[in-house]
Amino acid sequence: MLSKINLYLVQYAIGSILRAKYKSLFITIIFTFLTFLLTSIFFISNSIKYELNSTVESLPQIIVQKIKAGRQYDIEVNNIEQILELNGVVDAVARVWGYYYFENAGVNFSIVGLNQYETQYKKSFTNIVEKFNLDKLSKNPSMVVGQGVYKVLNDNYYTKYFNFIKPDGTFKQVDIAGIFDSNIQLESNDVIVLQQDIARQIMGMREDMATDIVVKVANPKEILMIASKIKLMFPDTRVITNEDLKVSYDNIFDYKSGIFLALFIISLFTFFIIIYDKSSGLSSEEKREIGILKAVGWTVDDILKEKFYEAFIISFIAYLLGVILAFTFVYIFQAPILRDIFVGYSQLKTTFELPFIFDIQTLFLVFFLSVPIYIAATIIPSWKSATIETDEAIR
Amino acid sequence: MIKLKNITKIYQMNKNDKVIALNNINLHFKEGELIVLKGSSGSGKSTILSLIAALSKPTSGEVIVDEKRISKLPDNFAALYRRENIGFVFQKYNLIPTLSVKDNIIQPLIPANPPEDELKVKLDNVMKRFSIEHKKDLIVRNLSGGEQQRVAIARAHINNPKIIIADEPTANLDEKLSLDFIKILKQLKESNKTIIVATHDPLFFDLDFVDKVIEIYNGNIVE
Repeated sequence: MLSKINLYLVQYAIGSILRAKYKSLFITIIFTFLTFLLTSIFFISNSIKYELNSTVESLPQIIVQKIKAGRQYDIEVNNIEQILELNGVVDAVARVWGYYYFENAGVNFSIVGLNQYETQYKKSFTNIVEKFNLDKLSKNPSMVVGQGVYKVLNDNYYTKYFNFIKPDGTFKQVDIAGIFDSNIQLESNDVIVLQQDIARQIMGMREDMATDIVVKVANPKEILMIASKIKLMFPDTRVITNEDLKVSYDNIFDYKSGIFLALFIISLFTFFIIIYDKSSGLSSEEKREIGILKAVGWTVDDILKEKFYEAFIISFIAYLLGVILAFTFVYIFQAPILRDIFVGYSQLKTTFELPFIFDIQTLFLVFFLSVPIYIAATIIPSWKSATIETDEAIR
Repeated sequence: MIKLKNITKIYQMNKNDKVIALNNINLHFKEGELIVLKGSSGSGKSTILSLIAALSKPTSGEVIVDEKRISKLPDNFAALYRRENIGFVFQKYNLIPTLSVKDNIIQPLIPANPPEDELKVKLDNVMKRFSIEHKKDLIVRNLSGGEQQRVAIARAHINNPKIIIADEPTANLDEKLSLDFIKILKQLKESNKTIIVATHDPLFFDLDFVDKVIEIYNGNIVE
């Protein structure tokens, strides 16, 4: 294969690129920037999609909420007994959670109350209770926070503890006992985990109440059936299945996809303007050079091969640079500016990490959207010039 | 060796405007001859050279070189024919001004992808023969007219073609450089090349090693 490549033609192509160094540099920079932008958008989009998918996968199968006058209220914990009696229900857990508005920073924290010895409804919470003993935390009121929360509290000089303002106006001082890793869970960045009773105090909740109840069923095909039974059992509740939540998450991502699409179209549009400009013709010097090469014995094939190498070298280098820059920008620098467009619904905009997702399809897609198009745009005008009568070309 | 039979060449400038560059001409050149085509600008001399080099096709008639009808050759075959048979020294040299001397000279060899040693030997030989080896790395646009012409001759000669064609070779040279070119021409003639020179420079008309001087006027041969 390599022996079939005419290295003199490759050398000639490299020479041509270097001879037109300013033009080549300009094209490479523009091409690199567009490849970088496209690849970055794909990388960010892939990471967020992965993140949301993993969030959706970890969602409870059924959530039971108490509804009064169309609004959610605290639910009685003893409802769990009746739910557990339903055939097919494996587990039912009362969740104590809510939001705490921190006025100084203008952000909402998610408060999660956990019971050390109960089955946790999320793997990430199981990890937290394994790592931090919540019972020990409760003796001296303290909490484990996400990295985003930790940064916000630090920025506001709460380095060791935080004073929550309870609904009755009194303070509840809680120590910061630890920080949990948020590089996987998009949602965990703004989370504060406490012992369940302390969480209830902060939220002004009675001890026999919970925010909602999550239900686990043995057979996922039975989810809808069991949800309808719970609804019949407790007519004053709203029963949400994980399918309903998936639709909700998808809607959020679709909105993000709209922004993604707009950026994507702008990038492609700019790229095609360059392509159009390039394919609209060669300079008189380029045409003359083609004529001279034909006059000294180069065939049209030789000229097209040389032009192919020229275009391939420029576009492939720009593609590689664009991908490397996008990789650095997204996964090392965490995509400043662009990330803010994609991330940010009810989340703190601080230390959320875009997880690295290697998707070969993305790299191929960007390659096929850029390199072959640029090569074609270079070769077509060269072919037009190479097929006119040689005498006319050098005249 | 070279036969032009009933050649007519018409350039269609636009719908209603055409120029008859050659009008039914017949010519015959033998191998090893040095032919001078003389005539004023626009007489049709360059068109004859262009047809022999298969750079253009006649409107009617045939160009036959070594019994092959080169006027009917498809584009890629015409290029191969040029590569193997023709060395062309153009009036304005038609060098690529931003390339070095050696890169200009090796252009006819590149498509054949010869081994590096072979290419180097050929390059060194022609550069020595035409006394430009000391300029090999210089960019062509920085050379004088005479030096550029030597580069053009070296390029025309590197494939050792049977036919050397020169179009107004002394048009851009002073008298001394013109005489230098004539010396080179004599060398080439001695190596049994068939040489066709189109010129209106009187310097060529009385040279003792010129075999034939043919005058062209308005696309016709002056008998």
